[in-house]
Amino acid sequence: MLLDVICVSFLVALIRGGRIKELPKFYKVGLLIGSLVLQACAAFFPSLSGIFISISYVLILGFFLFNRQFEDMRIFMVGWFLNALAIWSNRGKMPIDLEQAKRLPYDLEPVINGTNFKHSVLTESSNLPFLTDVIYMPSIIPRVISIGDIFIMLGAFLLVQRLMNKPISLLQLREGKSYATKS
Amino acid sequence: MQPKVSLQRMTKGIVVQIGFVVAAILILYSSLFEWQSREHWGVLVAYTLLTILSTFTPVRLSNTILTVNNAVIFSGILLFGTWIGVWCAVIEALIIAFLVRVNPVKAAVNIGQLVMTIWTVGALKDWLITFDSVSPILSDLFLALVYWFVNLVLCGLGISYFYNKDWVGTIKEMAKGFTSTYLLLLILAGVGSRLVESYGLMPLIPMMAAFVTISYVFHHYYSSVQKLQQKVEEIKTFNHRFLTTMAASIDARDHYTSGHSQRVAYWGREIARAIGLPSDKVEEIYFGGILHDIGKIGIADEILNKKGKLTPEEYDKIKQHTVIGYEIILQAGMFHELLPAIRSHHERIDGKGYPDGLKGLDIPLMARILAISDAFDAMVADRPYRKGLPVEDALQEIRRGAGTQFDSELAEQFIRVVNQLSREELETIIQHDGQTEKQLQEAIH
Repeated sequence: MLLDVICVSFLVALIRGGRIKELPKFYKVGLLIGSLVLQACAAFFPSLSGIFISISYVLILGFFLFNRQFEDMRIFMVGWFLNALAIWSNRGKMPIDLEQAKRLPYDLEPVINGTNFKHSVLTESSNLPFLTDVIYMPSIIPRVISIGDIFIMLGAFLLVQRLMNKPISLLQLREGKSYATKS
Repeated sequence: MQPKVSLQRMTKGIVVQIGFVVAAILILYSSLFEWQSREHWGVLVAYTLLTILSTFTPVRLSNTILTVNNAVIFSGILLFGTWIGVWCAVIEALIIAFLVRVNPVKAAVNIGQLVMTIWTVGALKDWLITFDSVSPILSDLFLALVYWFVNLVLCGLGISYFYNKDWVGTIKEMAKGFTSTYLLLLILAGVGSRLVESYGLMPLIPMMAAFVTISYVFHHYYSSVQKLQQKVEEIKTFNHRFLTTMAASIDARDHYTSGHSQRVAYWGREIARAIGLPSDKVEEIYFGGILHDIGKIGIADEILNKKGKLTPEEYDKIKQHTVIGYEIILQAGMFHELLPAIRSHHERIDGKGYPDGLKGLDIPLMARILAISDAFDAMVADRPYRKGLPVEDALQEIRRGAGTQFDSELAEQFIRVVNQLSREELETIIQHDGQTEKQLQEAIH
């Protein structure tokens, strides 16, 4: 998960003077929990992982849709959409670029022999390779991410700012107003 | 005439809604192969980050907000080619589509025009490269111009279709709004690209600093311009109220003519519009009408409100109101542009009017217009001691006076304007007693 991104976001929010006062009300949190459970199921039943991951993707999309009044959720959706394209065009698993993955301190054996529940190997025949996990991210926790993940990280950063009562409105930024919506 | 217009509109609709979108799909499809290749992924990621950044860093202008995306896209085309420009356009469109409630058709058309612009510039760049003699700096400048022009033309076409406006007019209006800043951003992007090409990423630091400074300067400049505009608006409103109050106070002294100035101003404005004067002149004539009788302030009450016939001496005094009003406004040092309306609205084309006996075109246009509306209102308005004339008779009088008392062309226009109104509308205007100008406006429009 995005532990390091979330920690950095909290740090930034603290520096900006944010504090947790009241949490914004999210709807249908059950969908979020359900999708996490399904992800766990996928880990336990690698043979069916494609199906589990796909269903969990649909559930999480539902969660985003129900909470779409928050801008952060809409940014998550961009990332979700790009990742979903990559995963569904490659039979339910996210291809990962072995060249980049070799720089990670993990065992790549399960990915290579197809037992990993989440990732497959990026080959010449993979579809939409530019949306798959091809970017090596060295900082804090080294990982290989996709372009969709960039949006998910941005969404996570914005969500944490909101939780700390210092929301940043991208729409207002775009309109050339001050970015802070409320203190 | 009608079928031709709708045919033109239909053609526009097909070109915009189908042509743009099909072109976008084809260009996207051709770029897809470029995105597939491994050595391009790093660039795609870098430009994704740049696009996210630039989507939310607008440059504020007085009437529009420009985002920096075009500059990013342009630098991408120069450094790498059409495919990266298209990528940026797609990413931006995705962000906007998810973030803002967009109309899918308009969004598709918009991405269509952008992608077509990118493709055109990219193709032109590849063609220019074949000439060894062309310096890249000059070709960048040329490409920036092409980018701006194609973007403007296609965007204008889309907007003119969706808002049912004329294409060329839309383009002109848009060009007026942001050309200079737009080109500045593109030229900066071009220069930045060449610097990055030669020196790596370091020049981006001063470039960014320059950009941030520019947007800061713009922001300040335009916010002060806006404040100034607000002030101007306030002053205009104040003037308007002040003049209306003046008119009301003149009318209040003269029991015969409640709302007279307002109505004269109204008819004056209608004539001015009918002869196609620009809107600022039209407004001037309206205020001229409001103030035309201001000199009556200096006329004694017993003369002004005398029931029955005036003696020649009294009539001479009444005539003085044109000159008195002129003097008042002249000394006030304000509204000098309205002086002709006040001094000369009782002049006649044949030179037998007062105070100066001006002839024909020597009488200022404003005064010639208001002479007609003043005479008309004096005839049709009810007075305490007599009913107003029927409109037809009053128009007959105006027609009879055309060429002697009134400017014949203006008289003709005025008669046309009055005849176009329905009976109820006419009644509303003639009965209007100057309480609020709003009612008059609402009654007519």
